[in-house]
Amino acid sequence: MPRITVDGRDYEVPEGRTLLQALDDLGVLMNGVEIPHYCWHPKLSIDGSCRLCQVEIEGQPKLQIACNTPVQDGMVVYTRTERVRRAREGVMELLLVNHPLDCPICDQAGECKLQDYAFEYGVPRSRTREPRRALKKRVDLGPTIVFDQERCILCRRCVRFCREVPGTGELGVFGRGDRSVVDVFPGEELRNDYSMNVADICPVGALTTRDFRFRIRVWFLKEIPGVCTGCSRGCNIHLGTAYNRVYRYTPRRNDEVNETWICDEGRLSYKAIGAPDRIREPWLRSARGVLEPATESDALGRAADRIRTAAEAHGPGVVAALASPHATNEDLFVLRRLLAALGTEVHGMAVPRGRGDEILLREERAPNVAGGRALGFGEAEPVLDRIRGGGVSVLLVLGHDLLDPRYEGALDALRRCESVILLDTHHSELERAAEIVLPVRHAAEKLGTFTNFAGRVQRIEPAVEPPFLALSDGETLHRLGRTLGLAGFAGVYDVRAISRAIGSEFPAFAGRDVDAVGPLGLPLAGDPA
Amino acid sequence: MGQRVPHVTGYLTEHFADDAFGTLAGYRARGGYETARRVVTGMSPAEVIETVKASGLQGRGGAGFSTGLKWSFMPAETDRPKYLVCNADESEPGSFKDRILLERGPHQLIEGILIAAFATGAEKTFAYVRGEYAFPADCLERAVAEAREAGLLGERIFGTDFRHDIVVVRGAGAYICGEETGLLESLEGKKGQPRKKPPFPAQFGAFGMPTTVNNVETFCHVPHILARGPDWFRSIGTEKSPGHTLFGVSGHVVRPGLYELPLGTRLDEIIFEHAGGVPDGKKVKGVIPGGMSMPILPAGQLDVPMANEYLRERKTMLGTGGIIVMNEDTCMVRVACVVTYFFRDESCGQCTQCREGTGWMNRIVERIERGGGESEDLAVLLDVAGKMEGATICAFADAAAWPVQGLLRHFREDFEAHVRERKCPFPASFEL
Repeated sequence: MPRITVDGRDYEVPEGRTLLQALDDLGVLMNGVEIPHYCWHPKLSIDGSCRLCQVEIEGQPKLQIACNTPVQDGMVVYTRTERVRRAREGVMELLLVNHPLDCPICDQAGECKLQDYAFEYGVPRSRTREPRRALKKRVDLGPTIVFDQERCILCRRCVRFCREVPGTGELGVFGRGDRSVVDVFPGEELRNDYSMNVADICPVGALTTRDFRFRIRVWFLKEIPGVCTGCSRGCNIHLGTAYNRVYRYTPRRNDEVNETWICDEGRLSYKAIGAPDRIREPWLRSARGVLEPATESDALGRAADRIRTAAEAHGPGVVAALASPHATNEDLFVLRRLLAALGTEVHGMAVPRGRGDEILLREERAPNVAGGRALGFGEAEPVLDRIRGGGVSVLLVLGHDLLDPRYEGALDALRRCESVILLDTHHSELERAAEIVLPVRHAAEKLGTFTNFAGRVQRIEPAVEPPFLALSDGETLHRLGRTLGLAGFAGVYDVRAISRAIGSEFPAFAGRDVDAVGPLGLPLAGDPA
Repeated sequence: MGQRVPHVTGYLTEHFADDAFGTLAGYRARGGYETARRVVTGMSPAEVIETVKASGLQGRGGAGFSTGLKWSFMPAETDRPKYLVCNADESEPGSFKDRILLERGPHQLIEGILIAAFATGAEKTFAYVRGEYAFPADCLERAVAEAREAGLLGERIFGTDFRHDIVVVRGAGAYICGEETGLLESLEGKKGQPRKKPPFPAQFGAFGMPTTVNNVETFCHVPHILARGPDWFRSIGTEKSPGHTLFGVSGHVVRPGLYELPLGTRLDEIIFEHAGGVPDGKKVKGVIPGGMSMPILPAGQLDVPMANEYLRERKTMLGTGGIIVMNEDTCMVRVACVVTYFFRDESCGQCTQCREGTGWMNRIVERIERGGGESEDLAVLLDVAGKMEGATICAFADAAAWPVQGLLRHFREDFEAHVRERKCPFPASFEL
């Protein structure tokens, strides 16, 4: 492997990479080695046009762009010389010649690379007296993206993204010289399943999402690392939160999972967190046959009563459970323990499905399908068959995955149970069959892990608190177990201890607890993935 | 139709007065294609490259790079098809030599291409002719058809395994498509934008294949070098810049037009002896020696031999040999307006410095010309030009910066007078 020296420090770098790529591979780019850049993006082809990443290389008379200069053994690079400083200053000044400088009303302000780099590398005065280009403002490029042509610095990341990632190529650069503009091709609009990524990679305020723009000043946001729950890919995200609300999901880089992208559907799934149809309190079916609000202890008491009565009358096998792939490994592990303590082995897991693609989106539309399977939850159909055959009296249901069209008639089947105990985040038709409804926390509101389709265990943590009393599925089940007086369910629920305990029962999870997997997750032990 | 024959001819253009020279029969009657036959049947590619290297032939497209060396960059052992590109996108303002070479001597060009193809192992040549050159492109197409009909293009040329063909492609009128990688992009049907290097065309050129791009005139010298030998070629011109070239003289001269002369001919000799000097008894104010992208020379520096080693000492270059003469009435700020407008208009817009710098310079000089200049504008102009130089994907930004630097170096007083008087003090100058 070639060895290079950057600002006096030695690095062993991968072969066949350019300087920026190699430093990015090592994780030191803008994290020890400061080489500002606009057009270069680790997951897009090299453009070489913004010219900001110029560095001095020993033996080369001219400054070279780090993004396109192949590393060579013995290369000696300087990033902090006077020449480099002046070159950066020059690029920054020229980028601002035509920029509208409308930062006070720009939604990118605060997370704008033009602001940041102008502050860091630019000149503090303007020397231009000339009028700036007047171009299109607030253009709808499509249903998701709003474009400000004046702010664009023509780095062309968005153009390359559309060509190279979704492969839709709606965008191009039109015109020449300082009349160049990014735009959609005539008669087209920016419309693809990944369109909103262009707003993330746009270094300036030119491309913003219709969904997020002007909702909040970004400096009020706290970005909490998490995992998208939209499908079994488990794209790494940041949850942008403020005032106990989630304002957006943005992709968080994980080269093993989602690179730097997220699909539009997953991105917008944050809306479910604060949705008006969240279940905010326990509900119990009254004698009149309608669901009425109840206290948690009443709900848990009734649930425990139903389970105990049924098990005593017909044996524990009439108590069954349908797990949810939206629940965490910890939630599902508590469910396993509860079922084991009750002595029933009747369980399964309903998996909602949708259209998948070749990029990120998976057909299995839940984050923890592989986790559920690894913890022993099989298909839902055998359980449903058993219910239809009258063999189930009390059914514990996590989530409303059963409403997926592939489980047609599941609602009718559930009505055959004497009692359905539902733990869910959102109101749904499933409640019609439920006797007891318990509110639970959304993934954005709890600590735990998901196992993605490839067997990678990834951590989620509470980004917001639910504005009502609700516990995680695991803790709710823990309290149910305690109400039932089951062994091992006494005491306070400790999700970290549960997370560690998974590994002792399921060796693949050993060392994969919430505190061990780190921000980028870890593959299941012994898993080839 | 413009000029048919240069005012002064030499080995490249001596038969251009003869209409028949443009036909296959006429060209053959002058011994045409005999050199190519001898090369293809009797020499090895390496020998041809060595001969061209030994001749010292420099590319005539503007950069003046060694042609033989460029050919030697083509990978010898490769399974991939190799290509040549004949750059006939002659777009440099002040330059009009390739046009005559295409119109009056297309077979001379084809013979040069054949020899280059044999030397580099190229199986096809794309001749990229600028869109405005409709007639020159027709002339070349006709000649290519004739050559193909006669078996000089196609399979088994001269009865050997050597095969080659030429595809004539017409551009759409962008200056930047004369830059070799901008040309390649355009050739592939894309927007004409120069490619970042590496990779270089010899590794990844037209359609991703190894490619060498040469100017029309460069190819035209090749048959003569192979016919008469590198020593003969080196006996013409200067030691470092051998051979003839076609100087295009325009502007305020009595006899504008083309002059085939040895490299190293003095600029004042070309202007005053060959082109008849400035009309109406006026004096020269400044001369652009090598097409608009080269820095201007003031009247006092015309005693320079027209070869890069001498022109560089005066901070300018031979470029494409397009000599633009300006008389004493000329307003150099207006010249700057024309030059910066051109480069602003033609910048492809990829690189920050070029896209923004060309426009900024143009707006500044136009404001100065209108009488709105400030004294600090000149420093800004020089600073912007300095930021553009050597910092971009291709040499266009240099080409845009150099003339501005040259004008300010030699005619700063013109700019200062505009600022001082708050108007243009050259009422007799050409109109913008």
